[in-house]
Amino acid sequence: MQPLQSTQDSIKKINQNPLIFFLMLIAIIAAFAVFFNFVTGGDFLERTNVTVIISHIVWPTFVAWGICFLFACGYTDLSIGAIIVLGSFATCIFGNWYGYPGVILGGLIVGTLLTFLNFNVFAFTEIPSWIAGISLAMIYEAVAVFLKVGKSTADLIYAEIDKSLRILGRLPWSIILLAAGFVAAYIIYNRTTVGLNIRAIGGNKEVAKALGINIVKTLLWVGLISGIFIGIASIVQESVAGRTTVRTGLTSIYVVFQPLAIVLLAQILQKRINIIIAVPICAVLIYAVFNLLTILGVPSGTLQEAFLGAFLILFGIIGQRGYKGVVK
Amino acid sequence: MNKTRISFADIIPFAVFIVIFLFFEIASGGKMLSPFNLSTILEQSLITIVVGCGVLFVVAQGSIDLSVGVNLALSGVVATWAANAAGGVLLVPVALLVALIVGIVNGVIVSKFKVPSFMVTIAMLIGIRGIVNYIQTIIGTQYIPESMTVLREPYIRYPAFVLLLIVMFYLFEFTKIGQYSKAIGENESTAEFIGIPVPRMKIIAFALSGLMVGFGTLFSLTSVGGTSQMMGVFFEIKVAMAIFLGGVLVTGGTSTKLYKVLLGSFSITIIVNGLALIGLSETQYSQSVEGILLLLILYVTIIANKRKNRVRALPDELEKTDLKPDQIITSGS
Amino acid sequence: MSENILEIKGLNKYFGTTHANKNIDFSVKKGEIKGLIGENGSGKSTLLSQIAGLYPRDSGRMLLNGREYDPQSPIDANNCGISMVMQELGVVGTLPAGVNIFLGRTGQFTRNGIVNLKALNKAAAEQFAKWDLPKVPLNELTDGMMIETRKIIELARALSVDPQLLLLDEITQSLSMNNRNRLYDLLKRLKAMGRSVIVITHDVEELIQITDSITVLRDGAVVGEVLSAKTSPDEIKRMMVGREISGEYYRADMKPDYRDKVVLSVKNLLVENEIEDVSFDVHEGEILGLCGLSDSGIHAVGKAIYGLTRRSGGTVHLVAKGLDIKNSTMALKNNMAYVPKDRDNEALMINASILDNLSLPSLSELQGKFGYIAPRKTKRLASDMTKKLSIKCTDINQTVNTLSGGNKQKVNLGRWLAKDLKLLILDCPTRGVDVGVKAYIYSLMKELKKEGIAIILISDELPEVLGMADRLIVMKGGRVAGIIRRDEDFTEHSVIGVMI
Repeated sequence: MQPLQSTQDSIKKINQNPLIFFLMLIAIIAAFAVFFNFVTGGDFLERTNVTVIISHIVWPTFVAWGICFLFACGYTDLSIGAIIVLGSFATCIFGNWYGYPGVILGGLIVGTLLTFLNFNVFAFTEIPSWIAGISLAMIYEAVAVFLKVGKSTADLIYAEIDKSLRILGRLPWSIILLAAGFVAAYIIYNRTTVGLNIRAIGGNKEVAKALGINIVKTLLWVGLISGIFIGIASIVQESVAGRTTVRTGLTSIYVVFQPLAIVLLAQILQKRINIIIAVPICAVLIYAVFNLLTILGVPSGTLQEAFLGAFLILFGIIGQRGYKGVVK
Repeated sequence: MNKTRISFADIIPFAVFIVIFLFFEIASGGKMLSPFNLSTILEQSLITIVVGCGVLFVVAQGSIDLSVGVNLALSGVVATWAANAAGGVLLVPVALLVALIVGIVNGVIVSKFKVPSFMVTIAMLIGIRGIVNYIQTIIGTQYIPESMTVLREPYIRYPAFVLLLIVMFYLFEFTKIGQYSKAIGENESTAEFIGIPVPRMKIIAFALSGLMVGFGTLFSLTSVGGTSQMMGVFFEIKVAMAIFLGGVLVTGGTSTKLYKVLLGSFSITIIVNGLALIGLSETQYSQSVEGILLLLILYVTIIANKRKNRVRALPDELEKTDLKPDQIITSGS
Repeated sequence: MSENILEIKGLNKYFGTTHANKNIDFSVKKGEIKGLIGENGSGKSTLLSQIAGLYPRDSGRMLLNGREYDPQSPIDANNCGISMVMQELGVVGTLPAGVNIFLGRTGQFTRNGIVNLKALNKAAAEQFAKWDLPKVPLNELTDGMMIETRKIIELARALSVDPQLLLLDEITQSLSMNNRNRLYDLLKRLKAMGRSVIVITHDVEELIQITDSITVLRDGAVVGEVLSAKTSPDEIKRMMVGREISGEYYRADMKPDYRDKVVLSVKNLLVENEIEDVSFDVHEGEILGLCGLSDSGIHAVGKAIYGLTRRSGGTVHLVAKGLDIKNSTMALKNNMAYVPKDRDNEALMINASILDNLSLPSLSELQGKFGYIAPRKTKRLASDMTKKLSIKCTDINQTVNTLSGGNKQKVNLGRWLAKDLKLLILDCPTRGVDVGVKAYIYSLMKELKKEGIAIILISDELPEVLGMADRLIVMKGGRVAGIIRRDEDFTEHSVIGVMI
């Protein structure tokens, strides 16, 4: 019995093997790391810097994983930044009151609930998700301002979380969380009925319906799953930063942009490696670039943002190569 | 025979406007209708309307331009710097040119590279804001040259505004650019099949959006006297809200009309202004009200529009035909 | 009769104003391979889709093994032992092949919430082995796979249900020769197992070869039922395209009648995978017909001439202006018109007004100074055209979706007739339109012809082109098979001979 795909010559086979590709990526990252290190005169690979990099990529990675599930269904949620603000706030307040249980539950519940709520708005009102997300971001930002502890309008910082409660933002917890998140995301995305159904709906809704997949139930799960990842992200973010900064005027969109760039880049790579695996790799790649820029003195809040915007457009262009349909 | 059908969907924005106005008029104890306040409302709506008229073309096509805020800031900062460095007369052309270029870049990426407009313009939103912030850390905020402050005078400002409005109204409702844009929003495939140059129209729409931002920045610079740290922040949302609150559909199409920009702009301004009048000028209130309102109106217009389009036609067999097969047709009009 | 696995009586299906299935009586015996064939739009996919539970029928009965069969969903159909491979690609590209086979039924491999992919892939491999299907890399995403591979996956999925009745809609055209033979063997095996299969294909020879009996559909109704052993390709094709030629709404004369001047000269037109080496001239006042079977490429020619598809070779030369028409914008500018076959999605802005639709192609001409398009002018254009074509509406601001099929087609045509045309390309202009409007459209064509406008008439209906064309280009397999003049042997018989 002859296999359907013609046997390819060995070199091509090696290129297509996901494991090989993965190793190639690691090699490329290593090469970049060495190069960056050289350029910065050894600052890049210094131990504290590496620690900084690792602890800083955790929450964007979690957000990116959450976005993967949303993207799998064709939705883009721009209010995630504002949700993280509220989630961080909850982590902070409940943490200060109840200690670690408060830290975990606060962020998790708020993050999950709001993302879930958002998703219901997207799925059931049929308002295009990008603008619904913007509207929701405005509402959540306003709620955040309303809840702030400091009373004067200039004071946009909440009470800081107790230093002892910030373990989750540091090594080794960063790595533990990353690993746990990875395992969970990978299993759900690739090995659960719900994950497979989510991807079926996003891939070919008609077929999914024809095969008896319950669209409504599955959509509800999407909201829940991505919500949990975002909830965890807000916990970690608060742990890393130590305080919640309120953002208004839609500046919360900046927050969601880094994870968005991560997912877009991962999408480009997903032909070769599973997107869940690609996400943390892309997170490292992207954050490393910004870390390098910071070390080199490129000011954050200004030109770093310019890079981010440019990256996003670039990844978007590459990702849309060969797309033949109508795009608005 | 040519009675224009007024649909439920068209009335909602007017109703919203009236409700908002009455609410604040009553809540502020009549302060809303004072001549001073009314002129404040006009002044505060001015820039939104100007830019909104440009963005309208983009929205009519079914796309969106969220970069208008940062574009305002960028063109303002660059133009002010140029005017101070090389002569006040540069203020106007540089502002227009910079804003136009940003618009064209947006248009090219959307039409040629097929990246969704919300993504491109949000990326611009972030990227260009970074650049503007950077520039301002170097040159700080600046005043426009003395010579150019004459543009603030009412006898220049208001006629300019009215002139722009008339030109945009003309372009949108009475020329090919407007009609083609609406067609693209209705059904891009149909437009392609007829032979309308769709990619070119997309670039033109984004270019117009950029150009109007250039004019908007001039109005802003002359009003404030120079640049500021907060220039253009949140402005793109204000414009988007003005357009959607006025009843324009997210998908654009033939129901897109210029008066809706005016209606929506005034509605938005009245909300902010009204909240201030009753003492709630905190950002959180206006922003949350705006957010909720935007969601509501989007939802309602989508539903109302769906209902309008769900009409069923009769099968041919059930229709009586009383045609004369030998009716004469001549081509040409 | 208990020997029928499936019996259908009096089935009707409407899509909006279109009567897609007209009073269909249809049956399949146990252990029978049944063929279903018809031209595009004849209703065969619609029929199969209802059997497979994809959508409900509007009237009529279905009996499965003698008992009432009324599937509410494809899952219902599966549970009754019926599964289908659809015409449109039905795999999820972002999922691996193995998962696609059992999508929607992954529960059986799940333990503690986790799907055992190894077990799933093993079961999938077993299915491939059981039905002797060529192996497919089960772990790979289907996105990058060839169409043939994806079709095989769909087939495996349909077979994994262990169906009593398997429905195959146009599967063979995606398969290579090797795999087609494999499929034929599979059909024989199913037959030996007492299972039944309904096969749709447009390859008539193949159909006769692999089936026991064939049902021919035309215009939504059954026009013939034959035994495969006792029929011939010609007979089938005749049933597919032949129609009653009735009425005097076609032309009365039997000789070509057009001016000498060439309006458009097409040379060596090449569109990859669609048409090759197509050359012809169109003259002033000529109605040039284009006909052929499903994959002849006639529709592609229309699109290519108007510049809607990128051509890989050849020229489309507009003689009067000395221009090569490269894109649709040029075509529009130079007084050409294209009336697409797909009225609702391609041709009309369905939620816009009659006024907007009618005036859109003429906006350039209506421009005055400074690009001013006077509303008075567009209104006049629209109301004039509405009156001339007797478009039934209450006023021109009404939206097009409220019009009947015939009136929609009038808007479709009318917006072009408002211009000063040199060349009009019509693709199936009388599709989905009743007799009265048909007659009307033909009379329009006669008038335009008198005024010297060149018309290219692309049609699936043989009587129509025979009735109206001065010359007829018959296409086959993407190439020109023959050009026949009106004064030659202009009969269905001779044309079908070339077409087939």
